[in-house]
Formats: sequence, structure tokens, C-alpha cells
Amino acid sequence: MHDILTEIWQTARRNKLRTTLTGFAVAWGIFMIIVLLGAGNGLINATMKMNSDYLTNSMEVDGGRTTMPYKGMKEGRYIQLNRHDMEATETEFTENVDEVGTCYYTTAIVTNGENYKSIQIAGVTPVHTQIVKTHLICGRFINDIDVKERRKVLVLADSHAKELEPKDYKTLLGKNVKVGDIQFKVVGIYKGNNEGWGNSFSSYTTIKSIYGANTPSIGSIEFTFHGLETDKANDDFEKGYRRRLNGAHQAHPDDKRAIWIWNNYTQSLQMNTGIDIIHTFLWVIGLFTLLSGIVGVSNIMLITVKERTHEFGIRKAIGAKPWSILRLIIIESVIITTIFGYLGMLFGIFANEYMDATLGHEVTDLGVEKITLFVDPTVGLDVCIEATLVMVIAGTIAGLIPAYKASRIRPIEALRAD
Amino acid sequence: MIHLKDINKTYQGAQPLHVLKGISLDIEKGEFVSIMGASGSGKSTLLNILGILDNYDSGSYELAGTPIWNLSERKAAEYRNKMIGFIFQSFNLISFKTAVENVELPLFYQGVSRKKRHQMAMEYLDKLGLADWAEHYPNELSGGQKQRVAIARALITRPQIILADEPTGALDSKTSVEVMQLLKKLNQEDGMTIVVVTHESGVANETNKIVHIKDGIIGNIEENLDHNASPFGSGGLMK
Repeated sequence: MHDILTEIWQTARRNKLRTTLTGFAVAWGIFMIIVLLGAGNGLINATMKMNSDYLTNSMEVDGGRTTMPYKGMKEGRYIQLNRHDMEATETEFTENVDEVGTCYYTTAIVTNGENYKSIQIAGVTPVHTQIVKTHLICGRFINDIDVKERRKVLVLADSHAKELEPKDYKTLLGKNVKVGDIQFKVVGIYKGNNEGWGNSFSSYTTIKSIYGANTPSIGSIEFTFHGLETDKANDDFEKGYRRRLNGAHQAHPDDKRAIWIWNNYTQSLQMNTGIDIIHTFLWVIGLFTLLSGIVGVSNIMLITVKERTHEFGIRKAIGAKPWSILRLIIIESVIITTIFGYLGMLFGIFANEYMDATLGHEVTDLGVEKITLFVDPTVGLDVCIEATLVMVIAGTIAGLIPAYKASRIRPIEALRAD
Repeated sequence: MIHLKDINKTYQGAQPLHVLKGISLDIEKGEFVSIMGASGSGKSTLLNILGILDNYDSGSYELAGTPIWNLSERKAAEYRNKMIGFIFQSFNLISFKTAVENVELPLFYQGVSRKKRHQMAMEYLDKLGLADWAEHYPNELSGGQKQRVAIARALITRPQIILADEPTGALDSKTSVEVMQLLKKLNQEDGMTIVVVTHESGVANETNKIVHIKDGIIGNIEENLDHNASPFGSGGLMK
């Protein structure tokens, strides 16, 4: 083995350009596939993270505006959900619907001593935390008693709390703050979904009775459900539900804008399909990149063998068996592709880590909300090694054909070649 | 040592070329023979067949008692390695190997250990007065030095026979004389069987037996122990 390594070292050293080109083709292929997959993973991870806060088996329903004329009424009417819609949701769809909650939004000036801020407050029922995960920093969330007794309680987003009590926002817990003119007790602080976005919470009944006492609107409905596994089942359920609610509001049964239905389950189904597509796409591109690397390697192997035909002729004339020629070429190509493949892999991993350190922590401001585009844009080591192995094996197979030809060529012809 | 009987060789092509038309030749152990002929006479083809670099169509060839016919590449390589030492016109040294590494190469294919073959290669280089040039690459050597490295490479396996294809073809007259003297010495002192192919009468004149070949047929075989076959005579110019 030592002899073969010496041989290879000699040829590699004496043919620097060729060795560098081969190596570059391999290293580049590996580097590209790893960076590509890493970036893709970052994108996928970010999307998944953003959605992980939603319970997938849930729907949110809100009033909208009709888009079809129906029963003598023109389109463009505003629809507001009312008590009857709530009852219908609770009683008529028990086959699928589990817990139903309501949500009433208002905006109020919240004052704590000298600090005040205009805050959107959502009056919610306890089921809300099941549907949209809230990560409490301290205290508790709205509970059944709050709703039942119309307690004036407040669960603040941390960003709001920080503005109301800049020194140490956690001291707000248990304190009273003024919402409008009314004293509310802060019972909890939760981590808002990225800075700037999100609202503070209070009990549904409290907010509704203070800010919405004289309208029949109940705000929006949210509920969890079960037993809708497929796209079709979801679609059928939504259709039936929409027909029922549209009917109560004299809207066309098929009017999709009269009542807004936001189905987190189909959303996530679609998201998963999307992620799958991105994944496949990335692999296809990655494999093609790899393929171009392989083509590069085999191309250079072809030239190498051609260029060395005369040398192989000499070797054969002085006693090299076909197998020793074949072995020399194969081992040489394996070693070169392995070394450079490994280098490419290291650079790829390094690039991913760099991407993680920079883009991974960068928050893109979309105005409405701030999102992280890349989360952990890296590739598992197993994928890296697999890709490198594929490259090495493919490079070798590519080199095998010209090597085999070289080993078969008759010495007399090889000696004549130049 | 060499028994050729009725060797025929045709190169297939658009126009088949009958190069060797029934060559029969015997070369005994310890002979110093030259095969002489103009270009296209078939002398190189004959040498290639002798060196198992090429095959023949019909006839029989026996090298040191071994019939050479229809050998696998593996077997042919083994025979070439063990029985034949080649000296080429263009030296055919591997450019990225030093002189000593080039000389070692046949032993590498025999599986001789690194240390042993290095020692042997140095021994042979020393014998040919090239010990100081052992670590030089071929492009740092003169033509004569290169040919001596090639001769060392041919000798290192202690072959049965040395086949030299125009060994002086790429050398000036002075080095040509040196190389021929060297081959002569090998023949006289070590009893090495040597076959030289040449078209130069001066070179042929240095050998003990001259086989004239013309149009694929052996003409006359000249005993040349006096070395006066060349019109230039003994000690005459080679070129």
C-alpha cells in the first residue's frame, strides 16, 4: 500500500493542475449540495417553527362581507357573528367540534403610573391557549373563573409589559394597571410572538361587557375539532358549516367571503405539502449539482487516462499487469476524490455554520410582523457523509471505464501513443 | 533461447498489410544479434513479437523453452517482466520518476520490497556509472544517461534476453558508440543474450551476427565476429 501511495503522491505532485481541477470539481459539488440543503433546511425549519405555535386541529371563524347578491339583498353587506352562530357551532356540529371559544378584540390605552400605551386587547376564553400556544413568562393565563365572574384581569405580552414598566417588567405581575379608566389586575405575562406583534389578553366576558355590550356581535369564534383527517373531510365540514352560518345571516350558501374560516389543519397540510415539495426540489437540484461534479471528475479521469496511455504502455512493457494499472487508477481517483470531497464537505459545513451565525439570527421585518427566514440552516453530518460517499463512489465508477480501457489497451499501442 | 518458426503477421485495415511473411529464426543463449533492415521491412514488428508486446497470426515462437502463443495480458506481462529487458529508441522513462525509481519499477511489479529494490537499483546505476544521478529526473539527464538508465532498468530483473529497438536512434554518434560498447560488454562479460534492431549498418556491425530482413522475409544471416560487415569497417563511424 505504501508503494501505491508513493506512486499516487508522485503523480499528483507532478500533475498539479490536473489534480487541482479534479479536486475542485469534487469539492465544489459537495460544497454546493451541502450549502443548498442547509439553506433549504433553514427555510423549512423557520416555517415549521412559525407554525408550531398553532394547534393544527382548530379553526377560527370570523364575520366578513358578502360577495354575492342573495334573497334580494345586494353584495357587500358586513356580517357579524352573533350568539346564534355560537350556539349553532356548539350544538349542531358536535360530531367534530370539541371546545368552542370566542374572541373579542378591542384597543385601549393602558396606563401604569406615568407610562401608557395603546394596546390591542383580546378578550378570550381559556380554550384560546390550546389553539394558539402562549408561552407564559410568569403568572397564569385566563381561566374559567375569570370568564364566569367577569374578572378584570390582564395577561400582558412581554413587549407591552416592558413599555409599561421599563425597569423590571416582571414586577407588574399582581399589580393593577388602568385600562381606559378601569383598574385591571395583571395576572400573567407571556412571551409575545416576536417583538411588536401580538396582543394582551383578558377575559372574554369582561371585554365584551365593557366594550361590546350594546352590539349583538360576539367577535370571532374559535374551536378545536377532531375526526377530519383528509382534505376532503375538512372541505365537506367547512362547506356544511359555512352553509349553516351563511343561512342564518341570509347570505348565499356558497359565499366564501361572508364568513371567514381559517382552518389551521388544512393550512398545515398545505404547509407540509409545500415543505415536501421544497425538500424534493432541493434534493433534485443537489443531485444535479453532484452529477455535474461527477461529470467533471469523469471528464478529467478520461483526460488523465488518455494522457497517461504512453506511461501505462511503458509500465506494461516492463511487466505491469492490467490489474495493477487498473488498481493504480482506481485508488488514485478514490484518494483524490475522498480528500477533496472531505475538504468540500468541511467548507460546506463551515458555510452553513456561518449562515447560521449570521442569517440564522437575522429577523426580517415585514411590517406586520417580524419573522426569521432561516432557522438552523444546517445539514446533518449523515447527509454530508452520504453525499461525499456518493461523490467518491460515482467518481470512481466514472474513472473505472477509462481505467478499464487503459488496462486493456495493448502495450504496443500504448507505447505508440503520445 | 529463441525459436521462431514460420511467423506470419498481417496488420488488418482498409488494406491488409502482410508484414512478416514466414520468419524462421533461432537465436542461441549468449548471442549478440542485430536485425537489420530498412524502415517498413518488418524488423520492428518482429522485435515486438519477440518482446511479447504484439502477437502473431501463425507460426510458433518459443522463448527459453516457453511457448509464446495466445497469452493473457496478465501472463504476457509476467513473462515480459521476468524474461525480457527492453531498451527503446526514445528511452521510455517515466518522466515524473527519478532515475532510481525508474530502474526500480520492474522490481515493483515483481513485488520486491522497497528497500531491496532500491538497493538493487542503486547497484545497477552504479555499475553503469550513474550513481550520482540517481535522484535526478529524466529531463535532467542527457540522452546517453537516459539510455543508460533504461539499460539499468532492462537489466535489473536479470532477464534471459535484452531486446533493443534502435537503441542509438536518438543519440549522437559519440554516445551511440558508448551505448553499443556497453551492450557489447554486457554480452561478453555477463553472457547476456542481446537482440538489437537497427537500420544503421554501423550499429549492426558491432554485433556478432547480423540478420538482414527485407519486406518481411529474412535475407541472409551474416556471421560478423570480425566486425567488418559495415562498409566503414571495424571501429568505423556509426553515423
